[in-house]
Amino acid sequence: MKDIAFWLSGATLAFLVTAGAFLLLANLATAPSEESLNPNQAKGGSGQAVDVILDKEQLASLEPRPDQSLDLVVENEGGEQLSDVNVALRVFSENTALSDSRYYRQTVEKIPAGEAASMRFEFDLLARERPVATPTANPEPSREILEIRTTTPEGTSTVRTVILPP
Amino acid sequence: MLFRVGPAKRFAFVVLSATAVFVAGCSRADEEVSIEPLVPAAGRVDPGLGPGTRALSSGPGYKSSPSWSPGGDRIAFTVDGYVVDKPTDSGDLRRWTTKDFIAKDTVWISDDTLMILGAALPSGTEEISSSLYRARAGEDSLELERVGKEVSAVGPDREGLIFALGSGAYESRLALTRGGWRVNRLYTRSIKGRVAALSLSQGGEEAVLAVRPPGDREVSELHIFDLRKGKGREITRLDGSQEIVGTPQWTEHGLYFVAGEKNTSVESDVSEPLYEIYRVPEEGGVPEPAPGVGEDFVAASIRVSPDGERLAVIGRLNPNSPTNLYVLDPLAEVLTAVTTNEDMEIKTGPDDLAWSPGGKSVAVIARGTPSTEPEVRADPAARLLGEFYNLYEIPVSGPEGAQ
Repeated sequence: MKDIAFWLSGATLAFLVTAGAFLLLANLATAPSEESLNPNQAKGGSGQAVDVILDKEQLASLEPRPDQSLDLVVENEGGEQLSDVNVALRVFSENTALSDSRYYRQTVEKIPAGEAASMRFEFDLLARERPVATPTANPEPSREILEIRTTTPEGTSTVRTVILPP
Repeated sequence: MLFRVGPAKRFAFVVLSATAVFVAGCSRADEEVSIEPLVPAAGRVDPGLGPGTRALSSGPGYKSSPSWSPGGDRIAFTVDGYVVDKPTDSGDLRRWTTKDFIAKDTVWISDDTLMILGAALPSGTEEISSSLYRARAGEDSLELERVGKEVSAVGPDREGLIFALGSGAYESRLALTRGGWRVNRLYTRSIKGRVAALSLSQGGEEAVLAVRPPGDREVSELHIFDLRKGKGREITRLDGSQEIVGTPQWTEHGLYFVAGEKNTSVESDVSEPLYEIYRVPEEGGVPEPAPGVGEDFVAASIRVSPDGERLAVIGRLNPNSPTNLYVLDPLAEVLTAVTTNEDMEIKTGPDDLAWSPGGKSVAVIARGTPSTEPEVRADPAARLLGEFYNLYEIPVSGPEGAQ
């Protein structure tokens, strides 16, 4: 009788320990997945917000030539100073068959809370030849795309995509 | 039966049992699979194409020629000429050809095999000399297996594929693959002219062909080819500079095709040709404007539903109205608007629409009107929808649900 009681209590203990462990693991596992399933997440990560301000007039003045300039302002919208903010510019064509993305990168060392940092990118904007007109290839001149992504060491990222008219 | 063991051993056994259960519960049967982040295609969106519309792609790229897999769970299309496919719910693109390949059309012959009409290198001439290739999913390289050279048109068949071969503008021949991808019947009787497009009857026993006669610049003849007898005949011919655009469709209630004057008069207010939908009986004769469509309707492309009872139509009610998706019931002679879009540009290429295998929805390609000013968006380019041509699945009610 004593043995039966011992085995029953042991089995109950084993069940409770296992169930508790599974509950703990389940909570740990779901937290980051929920965060990554936001489809419209322009600002990633859990750190403080960063805004990217572009000059529309300057964007309109960009031409398909080498040595173009893009001025932008990275604004720290949070309450703490940001350090080592990476700013990456990717320049590529709307035509995905052209694998010639160009990447430019800068780092801002410090942006105090509520303040902003200005920077300038010098880059080439290529003139594209009109593609061969076929039923499935684009008969229109392709647009150039600028994708600007800022990333803080905490993982907060902000994206701005600029589509330039042909 | 209980074993007689000491208390310390009993306790150790209980702890070991708990650990064993814990480890077994935490171990994974399969190798690690990462959870895909949601993409716009995963959710219902209303990009101006009506409620229930779902994005099937996102990001840049000139998309064309959608084609649903037989099971309906994947859709293939071309992006800037090369071929991709993706799951219709969510998931990444899968590339089938290299980026220097220019595909003209794709046809699924099974859930893991695509037949691709195209060429690796454009010649720069007016027409690319295309070949027919087979590609299989899951193969490591993007190498294609050539099935036929000088192929001018392909069409799906219930058990395979039908295609037209021709080395010049003077004659073509048809070939059939059934139960696999190898050519198992090459018809000896030739067709005068170049077959520009073809499709099969609902029973799969006959094919309707759009043919460019020898020496002509326009595709102006419609032929029927009996696949059992291996014989073809001309059933109608258009006059003057009229041309047939896209693939003629074989419905349960006659043959339908889009045609019109190739060169619109310079005095016309519109810059693009005004095409109409025509119907001709299987026995042949003079084509008549499709009943129920309306005399001002400007047609771009048509596709017969899987049951042969309806036609999906992309066009405009009149030259000044926006492009929309309609469904024509050939029996009732009723045209029903599926979308009432004002803002989106629905693509009007002859192969830019496709019925889902169950006939419950149609895939179209559309984008917002491009701006003449730089556009700034707060999402990565790969997630953007309306800024580029993208695929949308539009639900279509059955004949009983016609509005």
